[in-house]
Amino acid sequence: MDPSALIPATESLQVPWGWFQFLLVVTLFLHVLAMNVMLGTAFIAFANLLRRSGEPDPLSREISGKIPFTIAFTINFGVAPLLFVQVLYGHFLYTSSVLMANFWILVIFLLMAGYYLAYIFKYNYEPLHGGRVLVIGLATAVMLAVAFFMSSNFTLMQRPEAWTRYFDRPAGLLLNFGDPTFIPRFLHFVTAAVAVGGLSFALLYEFRHRRGNRDAAPLVRSGCYWFSFATIVNFGFGFWFFGSLRPEVFDVSTGSGILAAVLLLAGIVLGALSVISAMQFRVMRALATILPTIFLMILIRDLVRAAYLKPWFSVSELEVVPQYSPFLVFLLFLAGGAFLIGWMLKLAWRTIKAGEVQS
Amino acid sequence: MNYPVWQLDAAGGGLLIAVMAVVHVYISHFAVGGGLFLVVTEMKGIREGNRTIVDYVRRHTRFFLLLTMVAGSLTGVGIWFTISLLNPAATSELIHIFVFAWGIEWVFFTAEIVSLFIYYYTFGRMDDRNHVAIGWIYFACAWMSLFFINGIIDFMLTPGAWLENRNFWSGLFNPTFWPALFFRSFLAFMLAGLYGFLTAVSIKDEQLRLRMVRYCALWLMAPFLLFLASAWWYRASLPMDLRSLIFERMPEIRIYLAAFTILGPALMFGGLLMAIRMPGVVTRPLAGLLLLIGLLYMGSFEFIREAGRRPYIIPGYMYSTSIRTADMERVRQNGLLSEAKWTRNSSVTGENTADAGREIFNILCLPCHSIGGPLNDIRKLTRNYTPSGLEAKINGIHTVSPYMPPFAGTADERRALAHYIGVNLNGRMDRQEDVALKTIPEDPVPEFDAEAAEYVLLAWSGMGMKGMTDASTIWMIEPPGVTVNAQLIRRGPTPEVVVDGVTLSYAVDGEFLQPAARISFWENAEALYNVQIPEDTGLTGNGLTGTMTRGGNVFTADMLPVVPYTVDNGFLPYPAVTLTAVNAAGEIVARTRVAAPVSTEMGCRVCHGGPWKIDGRAGIADVTAANVLEAHDRISGTRLQALLAETGPVLCSRCHADASQNAPGNGEQLNLSAAIHGFHAGFMAGRGSRYCVLCHPADSGGATRAYRDIHSTLGLDCSSCHGEMEDLAISLLKAELEDGKPHAADLLENIRPANFAAIDDIAPRQPWDNLPDCLHCHLDFEPPEDDTTFNRWTAGTEDLYRNRTDESGMLRCPACHGSPHAVYPALNPYNGNRDILQPLQYQNNPFPIGANLNCPVCHTIDMEDELHHGNMVRTFRNQ
Repeated sequence: MDPSALIPATESLQVPWGWFQFLLVVTLFLHVLAMNVMLGTAFIAFANLLRRSGEPDPLSREISGKIPFTIAFTINFGVAPLLFVQVLYGHFLYTSSVLMANFWILVIFLLMAGYYLAYIFKYNYEPLHGGRVLVIGLATAVMLAVAFFMSSNFTLMQRPEAWTRYFDRPAGLLLNFGDPTFIPRFLHFVTAAVAVGGLSFALLYEFRHRRGNRDAAPLVRSGCYWFSFATIVNFGFGFWFFGSLRPEVFDVSTGSGILAAVLLLAGIVLGALSVISAMQFRVMRALATILPTIFLMILIRDLVRAAYLKPWFSVSELEVVPQYSPFLVFLLFLAGGAFLIGWMLKLAWRTIKAGEVQS
Repeated sequence: MNYPVWQLDAAGGGLLIAVMAVVHVYISHFAVGGGLFLVVTEMKGIREGNRTIVDYVRRHTRFFLLLTMVAGSLTGVGIWFTISLLNPAATSELIHIFVFAWGIEWVFFTAEIVSLFIYYYTFGRMDDRNHVAIGWIYFACAWMSLFFINGIIDFMLTPGAWLENRNFWSGLFNPTFWPALFFRSFLAFMLAGLYGFLTAVSIKDEQLRLRMVRYCALWLMAPFLLFLASAWWYRASLPMDLRSLIFERMPEIRIYLAAFTILGPALMFGGLLMAIRMPGVVTRPLAGLLLLIGLLYMGSFEFIREAGRRPYIIPGYMYSTSIRTADMERVRQNGLLSEAKWTRNSSVTGENTADAGREIFNILCLPCHSIGGPLNDIRKLTRNYTPSGLEAKINGIHTVSPYMPPFAGTADERRALAHYIGVNLNGRMDRQEDVALKTIPEDPVPEFDAEAAEYVLLAWSGMGMKGMTDASTIWMIEPPGVTVNAQLIRRGPTPEVVVDGVTLSYAVDGEFLQPAARISFWENAEALYNVQIPEDTGLTGNGLTGTMTRGGNVFTADMLPVVPYTVDNGFLPYPAVTLTAVNAAGEIVARTRVAAPVSTEMGCRVCHGGPWKIDGRAGIADVTAANVLEAHDRISGTRLQALLAETGPVLCSRCHADASQNAPGNGEQLNLSAAIHGFHAGFMAGRGSRYCVLCHPADSGGATRAYRDIHSTLGLDCSSCHGEMEDLAISLLKAELEDGKPHAADLLENIRPANFAAIDDIAPRQPWDNLPDCLHCHLDFEPPEDDTTFNRWTAGTEDLYRNRTDESGMLRCPACHGSPHAVYPALNPYNGNRDILQPLQYQNNPFPIGANLNCPVCHTIDMEDELHHGNMVRTFRNQ
């Protein structure tokens, strides 16, 4: 069966696609950052506790306090890109979601389980004793499972040629193992999370160190080790991922291919620089280079999707029936909301600085 | 149609979204109302200088955080996930329309998270004024999320002007936006109190506990009247047809409407109870119970709202089947399977019925019907139907159940779907082979001495086949009562119709005696007719043997209580009657035999379930009849089942006038024929006479095969004279409409004429009086030029074939031509000759009396003038 006959129709946009693409990339970037911190620190806490047979340590205790926040923001910042990707690519995403429906709906329950596990880890860190390894281990496993299903869905959505498997298994249990990019992509994303997780607590302890906390320095170094090691491993997964992609993505005879190649090169260079900085325990410099690396990777991710879908669809095909007022009102609320949130955070920060806040 | 279908069986029908959504709204409304509760209660504690209250707020905030942040927000995202899996087409529409509404809601959601974290984690550390400000910000953001999501949800019930102008703001601020916003807000405040009980009951300090429990009770009860007022406003802002749909025409949601009505006051009562000083062992479970009641309360509202939207997912725009209203015509024309993208089959062929049926089911039915699951289990709902019954039901289901979408496919696809549900899911089949008729030997032809006989005795039955409803324990449409008529002719060059000086007696064949032993009519006659009827006696007093009465120049044996069941429990719908004419001296002057046809083969069970009552071929089983009453009660809002239990079997003609029984009805309801045909024509359309024979015993493979005359042999069917079901129903309903009967218009809306451009083109008629007539085709007794006579009716009863005379005014038409539906030459399906005994007796052929130049039968000599009617002195045309 010709896959193009399977691709559903879609509806028109209210503003040109570029706006949605911009919002998608920006919010996805925030989501990926939050997710990296969430998954990375959870993994590191688990690894630490495992190494110590469940004996408490300052790092995992620190992380336990913060995990519910990282989860909350990962989920919250996940909602926005999910919204915008449905506008541009919904007809592909809903299809792949239905094909793996049982797993997709499982994500919600996994998230709830993982979130409550994180709260148990936080509020019962001490009383759990050795059980705390199990709790954080389960929470980490849950997060990895969610990432796994995410990778499956977002790779399946760009492979209409694989959709015909539905006719043999319409009960919503398909995963995208037939795609050579699936596993390396998943590994690349989660290893990056471990790296950024490490860097995130390196950053936290760097600030404490600068404020005069004497116990912070070893943890800064620990974070940098995690970051460097994970990023070096991730280069390996990255090259595997690169090799598994279709050559059309980086075909330099096309405009988008050149762009992808340039961005990738820049990302690799910046990534290498961030490792070098981290090995020198220069946390801020590592941060300054890894953030653009992640951003570039997200752009490349989108270019990969566009290239894979090129035989079937391009976002520029989407019809625009202009209606700007909702968009403008949204931007107003966005600005207002950012201001309000900023004000609240400032207020909270003042309060925290004024006294020791248990958080 | 555009998307693959997640093939759920027991979990289908929307179970996932029902669970996800009800849990989410229950928690999320608490997240809104509870936000106000937190900050107002904190302010109360600060104002009164009571830190214990503030401490309680802090503990409640932790509970609030753990519940709303995790389960609350994730079930919200869960709704998104679920709807994109269960109805991606509608989700895509909503996303493209309301992306920025969701974007705005997300901004507020982010601010909610930040503010709630800050509120909880700086409790006791931030100064009161700023802390309270954070609390207010949280509530404001939570309420604003409700504001925007409310717009989208209400759009899905009342899209309003968006349907015309496609404007975002028209869609968001739709007709039910404001009332629903107030409704949900007041509900949110009530829920704040309800959830508050959970934490308040575990306060250790007894004084504070009682105080806070009473405080929560106040939160629960105070908004109630305003909540009810906004509910009334909500209901009032629904468009008329939606209001009538939800509150009058959806029997399936009556339970939710009842729950909503009862549980509100139950919650108020619970609140009052909680305010009483009681030990923890009572208040804690009571708090839990009230929370559960609250869940059912909210759940019943959401079920009502969701049900009211059906058959649409976006009213006036897209059906729950994901098919846009604008695309329906195209889908019906081209077929669902060819228009849908994700089907293996692109059309129904002979071999793929089950598979194609399953694919059609997935798209058209699975969105609302589970297979063996808790929501609208299709198996339960269709268990009474055979595939052909189901095919009819699907055809018209949107007429009697306006919350069902019209079938989106071709007739073949409808058949495949009916086959899949009937056979593959329910294991029910239609009759596969013709009924094997009991063989009976040919009747011996009565004797006639053509030289010496003085008289010719002609006889016929009034209708050619009397239908009888053998369901007397439950209801009665047609009682037993076959009428046999006769005319006695003294032979000679000028024959004479004789009535004086002779007595005609009749005797039904012995194997049909004791009908009271075989049907329950006599047991129930008093309950039905308010008069005692002796066993084995008809409604006018005649038994199975007796004397015929004189009326004009015709002898009549009226309403004979003959039933088609023989003494050995067999089914034979052609009982025979022997008529004997005796003169004043007591000598037999003439004798003949005639069939007194009666049948109980009515196929109600094809849709109403149950087995055949008699011998796998006839009668209406009690369970079938009971199902008919259940359907009548459910659809027409009657209480016939209760009536059955209280006073006995139901006589349909008590409400529905029936001229054939001289029943005037109750003056309000449609006459019986208009009601039955008018209602069922909404379903049974598009298949010609195939539907007639589901109820009338004329199926050529059935146990009766009543349509057995020359016309049937020539290839005409019921519809040639009586019209197809739709047209027939329209003709009856139009007469009732002109008579001012209320339901006629409703039923007419559901029927489209089969053979006419418009309803206006169909002439109204009264049942039993305005019927087809031979002379409408056989103009001037000539061979007919066309073979349909629908839309031309007899003016009244006296013009009916069976009541009319020849041009001499002496002979009744059936005397020579035979009973209706069995006009000579007729072929009796059981033994070939039971319907032509008089032609065989008098002229040794099966043709009308005197046909084929057989005038000597009565005249004893040949005749030249066409005294009886034109075109008669000739050889019979159809040899």
